[in-house]
Amino acid sequence: MKGEQLQRVRRTKRNQLLLFLIILAVLTIWSAVGTDFTPGALWGGIGDGARFLFVDLMPPNVSEFPGLIQPALDTIYMSFVAMVIGSVIAGLLSIFAAATTSPHPALQIGLRAFSAMFRNIPVIIWTILLVASFGLGKLVGTLSLLIVSIGMLVRCYAESLEEIDMGQIEALRSTGASYWQIITQAVLPQFMPSLVGWSLYNLEINVRASTIVGMVGGGGLGFTIQSGMKLFQYKEVSMAVLLVLCIVLVTEFMTNRIRERII
Amino acid sequence: MVNLSKVNIRGAKPNRASKSKNNRSLKMYGVIGGLFFIFSLIQLQLDYSRLLPGILKFGKTALLMFPPDASEWTHVLLAAVESVQVAILGTVLGIILAFFLAFLAADNIAPNRVISWLIRSLASLLRAIPTLIWALIFIVAVGMGPLPGVLAITVGAVGSLIKVFAQSLEEVDEGVIEALRSTGASWLQIVLQGVLPVALSALFAWCVMRFEGDLAESTILGAVGAGGIGYELSHAMRSYQFDQALFVGFVIFMMVFSVELVSNRLKLKMRKRA
Repeated sequence: MKGEQLQRVRRTKRNQLLLFLIILAVLTIWSAVGTDFTPGALWGGIGDGARFLFVDLMPPNVSEFPGLIQPALDTIYMSFVAMVIGSVIAGLLSIFAAATTSPHPALQIGLRAFSAMFRNIPVIIWTILLVASFGLGKLVGTLSLLIVSIGMLVRCYAESLEEIDMGQIEALRSTGASYWQIITQAVLPQFMPSLVGWSLYNLEINVRASTIVGMVGGGGLGFTIQSGMKLFQYKEVSMAVLLVLCIVLVTEFMTNRIRERII
Repeated sequence: MVNLSKVNIRGAKPNRASKSKNNRSLKMYGVIGGLFFIFSLIQLQLDYSRLLPGILKFGKTALLMFPPDASEWTHVLLAAVESVQVAILGTVLGIILAFFLAFLAADNIAPNRVISWLIRSLASLLRAIPTLIWALIFIVAVGMGPLPGVLAITVGAVGSLIKVFAQSLEEVDEGVIEALRSTGASWLQIVLQGVLPVALSALFAWCVMRFEGDLAESTILGAVGAGGIGYELSHAMRSYQFDQALFVGFVIFMMVFSVELVSNRLKLKMRKRA
């Protein structure tokens, strides 16, 4: 009897997997038809891409390097500034957005909705929306990075806040501590490691994003890449892409080191 | 837009003994960070005089955006469907490629150390260059349309999936592999019988999270000319049709948000089962 049951469970599981794979295959074929995609196109595309990468883009024009230093530094500055201001604002907001520390449920839901809107509209869309009002340049890039940082950090911070040990808070509350005393004495010390961790992760995301906000007018390396592509200055583009690569990899390396030391 | 799949910030729990040392380095990094923040702010030379007029102007623009103009909804919807198709196709291709490469890259089952190292380095290179830059490269290489978008998403997905797939494969209990190896099983048998069944649900979770990220990416590819709904938005903004832009923005938000909701539910389900 037991064996039969086990077999039946196993069979339904296998059928579920099979059904899922079939649905996935149908969706994939539907997508391939919708986008005029064929295996031949994939093969040709990879070939063309590789040829462009290794023939047109190589070798990078090193003499362009001095001119690229400023946009590269701007990219780093923008992401760092957005991360710091973003984590300060998000740190304050998340206290009101977490179920454990929020003074009122309505405030919690409102803030959650706001942060969902901030993070679910991609950063480059924010740049496109803001460029019309703030004009081209680093200001608009920094602002869009800031918006998305706040959206992401409020959620992550709030989730970490909800995971903290409630026992300590209860203990403090029973001694008659005020709301702010509880926050600073019981919540913050537990919350600090994840706050730093998420902020560092946010910095990594910002560095990536800041290289692309430039493509729609946000300053930094993205602008160099986009305009170089339009002017067929491919060797300059590859130098800029190389710099993006370095910045992203170095940032990841450094944040990993700091994370190991602190958390 | 935010892809939380790549992090595990709680990887290392603090232990009591090193707490004071941690506190000290925390303070040191805090000071360095604060100084660098001030330095960056000075170096950026942001034009703060544009901040207030900009906010006022944005407020005015925002008023022009209401009510959102949905008259072109068939057009926008078709573009949205194209974005979804690009995301599905790119993610599936990425999953297939990364699936095979990850077995060659995972430390515990890789047949060859050099190949494993090569694949890992390649993956981190692919991953480090943002998808939008890949899209620009492929647009020049293969022309406009959805194809460069699919290729860009595939490349980005391969880069990040190889890393996380390999990590999940490495978490498989060494004993299982040893036991199979001692029975004289071939490499393929070890992978199919020992590793794959254990790691399958983790791999599946990564795929779902990757799709969440890729859908967000695919909505913006159009902004640089790779087809999809992003083009509709940049077009509407450029022609000052702010009410249409708001409608497109709303559709993009719904697309990304619904995937976030679904994948949150899936993650919860996975956590309960684990």
